[in-house]
This record gives sequence, C-alpha cells and structure tokens, in this order.
Amino acid sequence: MIKARKVVYEYYRRDENNEIIGSEKAIDGVSFDIKDGEFISIVGHNGCGKSTLAKHLNALICPTEGTLWVDGMNTADDDNIFNIRQCTGMVFQNPDNQLVANVVEEDVGFGPENIGVPTDEIWKRVNDALKIVNIEKRRKDSPNHLSGGQKQRVAIAGVLAMKPKCIVLDEPTAMLDPSGRKEVIDAITMLNKKEKINIILITHHMEETLNSDRIIVMDGGKIVMEGSPETIFKQAEELKKHKLCVPQATQIADLLKNKGIDIDRTILTREELVNEILEKVDMQNIKQELKQDSKQDIDLKENNIKQDLTLDTAQNFDADTITSSEKQLQESDNKNDNTKIKLIETKDLSYIYEKGTVYERTALSNVNITINKGEFVALIGHTGSGKSTLIQTLNGLVKPTSGVVYYNGKNIHDKGNSLKKLRSKVGLVFQYPEYQLFAETVIEDVKFGPKNIGMSPEEINDAANEALKMTGVSDNLYEASPLELSGGEKRRVAIAGVLAMKPEVLILDEPTAGLDPAGRDEILGLISELHKNGLTIILVSHSMSDVAEYADKIYVMDDGCLFAKGTPSEVFKGYKELEKIGLSAPETVYIMEKLKKKIPHLEKYVSTEQSFDIITPERAADAIYSLLKGKEKC
Amino acid sequence: MLRDITIGQYYPSDSVLHKLDPRVKLAGTLLFVVSLFPYTNMTVYLITTLFLILMVTVSKVSWRYILKGLKPVMIIIFFTAFYNVLLTPGKNEIATWGIIHISYVGLRKAFYMVLRLMYLIIGSSLMTYTTTPTKLTDGIEEALKPLNKLKVPVHEFAMMMSLALRFIPILMEEANKIINAQSARGADFEEGKFFERAKNMVSILIPLLVGATRRANDLALAMDARCYHGGEGRTKMKPLKYSKRDFAAYVIICAYLVMVLLCGHYNFLHINM
Repeated sequence: MIKARKVVYEYYRRDENNEIIGSEKAIDGVSFDIKDGEFISIVGHNGCGKSTLAKHLNALICPTEGTLWVDGMNTADDDNIFNIRQCTGMVFQNPDNQLVANVVEEDVGFGPENIGVPTDEIWKRVNDALKIVNIEKRRKDSPNHLSGGQKQRVAIAGVLAMKPKCIVLDEPTAMLDPSGRKEVIDAITMLNKKEKINIILITHHMEETLNSDRIIVMDGGKIVMEGSPETIFKQAEELKKHKLCVPQATQIADLLKNKGIDIDRTILTREELVNEILEKVDMQNIKQELKQDSKQDIDLKENNIKQDLTLDTAQNFDADTITSSEKQLQESDNKNDNTKIKLIETKDLSYIYEKGTVYERTALSNVNITINKGEFVALIGHTGSGKSTLIQTLNGLVKPTSGVVYYNGKNIHDKGNSLKKLRSKVGLVFQYPEYQLFAETVIEDVKFGPKNIGMSPEEINDAANEALKMTGVSDNLYEASPLELSGGEKRRVAIAGVLAMKPEVLILDEPTAGLDPAGRDEILGLISELHKNGLTIILVSHSMSDVAEYADKIYVMDDGCLFAKGTPSEVFKGYKELEKIGLSAPETVYIMEKLKKKIPHLEKYVSTEQSFDIITPERAADAIYSLLKGKEKC
Repeated sequence: MLRDITIGQYYPSDSVLHKLDPRVKLAGTLLFVVSLFPYTNMTVYLITTLFLILMVTVSKVSWRYILKGLKPVMIIIFFTAFYNVLLTPGKNEIATWGIIHISYVGLRKAFYMVLRLMYLIIGSSLMTYTTTPTKLTDGIEEALKPLNKLKVPVHEFAMMMSLALRFIPILMEEANKIINAQSARGADFEEGKFFERAKNMVSILIPLLVGATRRANDLALAMDARCYHGGEGRTKMKPLKYSKRDFAAYVIICAYLVMVLLCGHYNFLHINM
C-alpha cells in the first residue's frame, strides 16, 4: 500500500530577506512498508517528525530526497496528486479547523464535490459515510453545535466519502476528553476491522495503540523502533529514552519484574495483568487458608464477596454517600480547624447562561465548595460539565446568577472589594494558555500581569524573573519572541505570566491538554513543585490519572452540579458511577478491583478501605508483590 | 451585546419563503429595495407596506424577532429623522432658529426617509432570516456567474464567504476566551483611561490575529488534503434548481413592480402628504 525509501525532508530556515540561513531535517532517511489493511500507530514526542511524515502520505508535501509510493503512485509526480489524496484521506488534530461547511452533511460531501462525483452519487456516499460513523442524527446540524468527538467523526466521514484505501489520522484525539477519545478510537478500530481500511494513527496516548498491528516509534526524524505492541512495550527503558511511556498495566508489570517476580510475557492490558497474576498466585494455598478460616464452600464465599462488592459500590454513590462523605469532610475540616484556613468558599452558587433567551442553559446549580489554604484540589468533569464556569466565578470573571463566593471570608462581589486585586490573588491559567501570549518578548509578556495590577518597576522586574525561573524557562529565551518557542515552553511562559502576579491560589484549566507524555509529566511536576512551595492549587482536568497522585481533595462536576467530593480514594470508590457520567478511575483502580473479585484472599492483605488508596502504579505493584509473596499487609 | 444582533441570522422555519430558490430571493430583495426609492407618494408606500406585511406573514418569522432586528440601526434611523426635520429649509416653515429650520417639507422628507430605511432593513433581513448562509452563498455564486467571463473569481469569493460564516462563531468564542484570559491577568477593558484601554486591546487583538492565522493555515491544509482545487471540475451536492414555485414567485415580484410603477405614475388614490 505504502512504500517509503530513504525519505528525507528538509525545512529551510530563512532570514528576513528570504535567504536560506540553515536547514533542519524533519525526516531523516525513513524507509518502511505498509501492507493493505494494516493498522499502524506512529508514536513519538512533539517535534519528532511524525506529523511531517503524515503530510507526506497525503502528498501535502514531497520528500526532498528519497521516494514515497502510495498505492504504486509516486508522490513526487504532480499528475498523481489528486489520486493520492483520494486514496489516503487525512484527519487532523483540531476538530474545528478541518470542517468546511456550515452543515454536517454538506461537509461530508465536500470531498466528493471536489473530485467531481455526480450529484446522485455524492448523496449516496454521504449517506453511507454518515451511517458508518453513526452520526446520521446530526446531519442537518451545524458543526459548531457538536461535541469534539462528534466533530472528529464527521471529519472521518468526510474522508470516507472519498472512498479511500487508507486513512491517516494526525493526533485525532489530542484535543478531546476521555469519552470523545473513546468515540474516535472505536470508530477507527471498526473501520479497520469491518471496512478493511488501512489506518495510520499518530498519537501520544499509548493505550490507543494497543489495537494496532504494528507500532512505529520516531525520534529526531528517524524510525527508532518498529514492531508489534508486545515487542515495543517490552522495552520500557528504551521508550523512556525517546520521551515516551508505556500503558499503566505494563508499567505495573515492569515494576513487579524489577521486584523479582517472574513475568515472561509483555503485559499490555489490565485483563492480561490480572490473568498473569492469577496464574502466579498459589490458588491451592489460598483455598486451604480459606477453608481454615471458614467451613463454607469456597464458591459460596466467592459469590458472597462478589455480591458484597457490587452492593458496596452501588451504595457508595447514591445521594447519601455524598452527604456521608460530606460529613467526613466536615469532620476532618473541624478536626483540623486550627491548621486549616478557609481560603475560598462558595455558597449555593448558580449560573444561568444567557438568561431569558432561547439559548438559556444552567451552567452551575447550587455548587458548594471549600478550598483551604495550601490544599491541592482537583476539579474533574467532562467537557460542558460546568467546571470551567465554576473556576471563572472564583476570580470574579463570571458573576453568579445567585449564590456567593467568599475569598478570605469576604464576599468578592461586595462593594469596595476590588476584583482586580482579587484576580492577582486568585491566578487563573486558562486552557491552552499559550494562545494568549502577545508581547514581543517573553519577559514583556510575563510583565503584563504585574503591570496591570500596579506594581513598581523594580517589583515588576523581580516578579517576572522569579516567575520565569520558577517555571523553568531558561534565561536565554527571555528576549525571544513567544511565538518562536516550542509548545511546552510557551505553556510555561503563560503560566509564568500568571505566577508573576504573586497569587495565593493558582487555578489551572487542563494544563496538560495536547502535550506529549514527557511534557505532561514536566507540567505536572512543576505544579506539584509550586504546591510544595506553599501555593494553593486548583487543578481542572478530565484525566483521573493526572490528579490521583497529587490531589488532597477531588470535586467531581456533572451537568452543572457537584456530583461527588472527597479524597481521591473516596471518589474512586464510586468508579462505576463515574463511568456513567463519562469519566473513569485511574487504570490501577480497575486492576485492583478485578484482582479483588478473583482473589477474595486479597482482602486479607489489603482491606476494602485501603484498596482505594492504591491509585498509583507504584502502590499497586507493592500490594500485588506482597500478595504474591504472601506477606501480611503491604 | 453582540448576541442581541438578529440582523443577518437565519431563522429556522418551513415556510414557502424558506423553500424558495435563493436566486429568487436575491432578485426579489434587490427589486424591492429599488422600488422604495423612485417615488415619494402615499399610494406607493401603501402598496410596499402591504407587500412587506404579506411577505413577513408568509415567512412565519415572528414580528418580535423582526422588530428586534431593527434595534441596532434605530440610532441611525433616529439621526436621519432628526437631521431631516431640523435642517431642511423650505416654504411654510414652522420655526426657524439660526441654522435650524423646521418645515413641512422637512417633516415629509423625514417621514419617508424613516419608512425607507426601516423597509430596507426589514426587507433585506427577511432574506437572511429565510435563507441559510450556505444557500445564500450558492445563490450569490450562481447569480454572479456571468462575471466569470470577466475573470472575476466568483467561486473563490463565494467559498471565502461561506468559510467566513462558518468561522465567525468560532472566532467570537475565541475572542471571548482571550478577553477572559487577559482579564484574569488584571487587564481592564471597561474602566480606566482611554489610552490604557487601547493599549490593553493589543493584548486581545494580537492573540486573536495569531489564532486566526493558525486556523486559516490548518484549514487550508485540510482543504488541500480533501482535494480542493478551486471551482474547476467541481460538482455540487445540492445544485440549485428552479421549481414551479420559484417561477410563481418571479411572477408575483413582477406584478408588485408593475403596481408600484403604475401607482407611482398616476397616484390613483390622490393621497398627498
């Protein structure tokens, strides 16, 4: 299907007079073959050349050296260009920027129109394509009214309507929340299995590559690893060198291996891990132990425990659980009253969007949250759950329709309270904050906030320098234009821009969105560092794994209401309920739950209460290790 | 504030007017607007008023919505009336004071001017209320096709227009986000000295411009990837086709024009103001 031989692509850097001052090889001697019907994943950190490679497959750019054939056609040949683009369709990262028409069905018809398909045939193709990605119901809608996942499916339908043999997807899930991501991955897996279409998926999410036949790892414009998911993820160390990670189940298995447990196979999914551990556990031994414990039949016992578990979780997230965990929280609040100072508090906060118009929508209803000084609070919810509105009420950007926000015990909308001052105390870093950079130099941009709140020139200088140092921006970039920086650097500068106002609370809205695994870890590390230095943190996210490790307290939002709150382990207990609102617990929680169902014995080592404390791969590995070694407790 | 503007927005409904071919509506609107200007006699305005009321009723667009559409231009209408009433000299002046003259001629002029402006806006917004942006651009493209021979890139203009329409809501949302983000960094866009505010505007405009360029770039790439190469050899998913009702509509428009012309000339009812 696709054959590449020593493909090189050079970018030329030019000065103001358009003279070439240097060149960089974005792709450096890449050769590979892709067979008909294969599902290939291409992974690599930002800037490794994978997007450039993707553009080659669609003849959007041509190799500077070497040759690339798509379905036997040379991409350098201008006569083939439209045949190639029809043969290998492309789906891009940003769902908004690739839809052309104002109506879904017209957008799907855009491709066929371009290649001159007769009207009747266009309609047939559009109908078929919409059916395949299951979005027929929204065909008359404007793309602006769809969710991210739906928009990406429309984009896929638009490619399908051109009857391609192969679809190249360039990070199609990077800007989506977990449910949108699943929608897209399910759709392309189905296309590969049922429609036998070649899939080339470029992604940062290692879990998404598990269905593929082959993974290609790129770094520095070269292919550095290639093989089945098993062979690739076997080499966790090697992947780390290329700034990549392995799926969580694999990570746990690797940790166990390091502890001396003998696991031969490469573990990719949670099922595989659980089965592997079950094989290792000496069931005979357990049965005997259990027989000693009770004279009841082992099966009965197993059933009982299963029932207990389901009952437990079913109850856990009924309405009264919230109140009970609320009580717990209040109790713990009372207990630590001396050490904890309430910094932000909301009372029955409601916000109705565009009240009195046809677009009226309740964005928040009766939300009560408390944030204590020095806490690390996570705010979780899927897109449109009201979490972004909530954080904007906290610094007065959005004025609630009813209810009160207290900062340091004072109503922020009281007369005489300066909102400007509040905004310097409650720093808010928006989603994709790099899109707000505007000044000529990095340092000037960071100074914008301090200038606005009226610091003296020396203070401004000190604050800006300190903030940039805190976020780890190297000083040779201070005078550079923010537009020249890499994605990760831009985001750091944007965070520094807020830190420079010396806030007491830092609110971050999806700070890791769109970053590669290394970038994500760096930003999370930075935030945890800031927290250690005494800053109160509110982290908004839809990724449970991101917050599991750091958060003291989690608030879960759904449909404008507070859905659950508590410590991470309390919240993850209700993982079944979380799934219903389009969220999920960290992978580790699922693994431990599965194990518990299979091995009632596990209770002996890890109590139910404790088991939900096991939210990181490291702790899971410890627990499983002690189980296997038969040690008491972990 | 921006959300209050109903001019130029589509009002979904299933009326006959909605189903008409956009070319008919374009021609009809143009002729209606032209018909407002040559005559200033009451008989003609009686006909135009009746015609407009008929069309709005047929369109099933609510009157409230139509009047709301007039709101943003009310200031212009008011000033036109004000200017005409106060500054038109003529016979039978009611009052004169310096350069200010209030005369019957002025009052009459103001009256017709206000009617014209209001009808012009209602008439043309009725077209946008009943026509989706896509159909409108299709209609414009079809109607201007003869200009292709003069090497005017009609298709490209139509495509640009429809893309602009698609991205307006997205860019508005982005502008909103940037305003919020800069406000969170202490920027003040509502109070303070004019110079300060103007300087702060830069912090919105530059990111917006950079963002729009980035989107344009992405979009161009996505269109390229989907084999877009201009209007040549392109087929249409929804080609414009005249049906019986479109011809009937042309007949009605012609009848209306004839009536306006006759009344304009002979002023049958002899209502003079």
